[in-house]
Amino acid sequence: MQQGAGSEMVVTWEDQLNINRFSNLNNRFHDLEDEIKAAKERNENLEDASNELILTDEEVVRFQIGDVFAHVPREEVEDRIELMKEETAKNLEKLEEEKESVLAQMAELKKVLYAKFKDSINLEED
Amino acid sequence: MAASPSSAATERRGIPGAQFVEDVQTYLTQSGLDVSSALAFLQERLQQYKFVEMKLLAQQRDLQAKIPDIEKCLEIVATLEAKKNAGEALIADFEVSEGIYSRARVEDNDSVCLWLGANVMLEYSCEEATDLLQKNLQNAKASLEVLLTDLQFLRDQVTITQVTIARVYNWDVHQRRIRSTASASTDP
Repeated sequence: MQQGAGSEMVVTWEDQLNINRFSNLNNRFHDLEDEIKAAKERNENLEDASNELILTDEEVVRFQIGDVFAHVPREEVEDRIELMKEETAKNLEKLEEEKESVLAQMAELKKVLYAKFKDSINLEED
Repeated sequence: MAASPSSAATERRGIPGAQFVEDVQTYLTQSGLDVSSALAFLQERLQQYKFVEMKLLAQQRDLQAKIPDIEKCLEIVATLEAKKNAGEALIADFEVSEGIYSRARVEDNDSVCLWLGANVMLEYSCEEATDLLQKNLQNAKASLEVLLTDLQFLRDQVTITQVTIARVYNWDVHQRRIRSTASASTDP
């Protein structure tokens, strides 16, 4: 946030709270973007894994649990991966929803703050 | 959110709250500081906040690494229990050294050993192990919650301080401008 050109700028407690809230939302937005990226990657990996499973003809697959690779029958691995894919998809959807909500709130606050402070405040990403 | 600046938290777990300035002129008169001293004080506060923020972020990273670790342990213990109940042995490939794996056959286990830290490893029954790990997981998640709230509070104080610095600076520029136009108009 930048300073204005030395104008007489009155900042009320409500303005301060709005600015604080905008800052929090902005931080949350960046965290969400990182989380969404990680979730998408995880989704892709699970897709690749299940594709590989279809192609393989081995009956026993080494499935990673913790730091070891347990020998698990292929069917069980397929089920497990399906479950993990569902979970990741749900998580991703939740994150995307939260991101939309955060962006909407930020747009609202921008309107309010720019209306009061016009050029004396900068709410853009540099 | 606080309804008025005086009801805002004045400090939280050792982090001093930033005082909200209603009016710059009043603030300077009340504190008896001139503009550069006030700015210096506020800048120093900002530095202190940044220092605490770094510490909290490091703690956050530690906790965020610990939580998946505990979850991995829980998964293994659950798998061992499932295998025991099915009467099967667990065959797993594990890393002996970097890039070298070996096969292990784990049969009929009633107990697991948990690493407690400080070079101490303790043997537990699968049930006890699951309980202990769950408890650790809850504690870690709760600590993370508290930490994130602390960070939020800290960031709010940083924002308040930054805005105050900007306002004091602007007020000073404004005052200088008034003084220079006043003296210019009185010059013959």
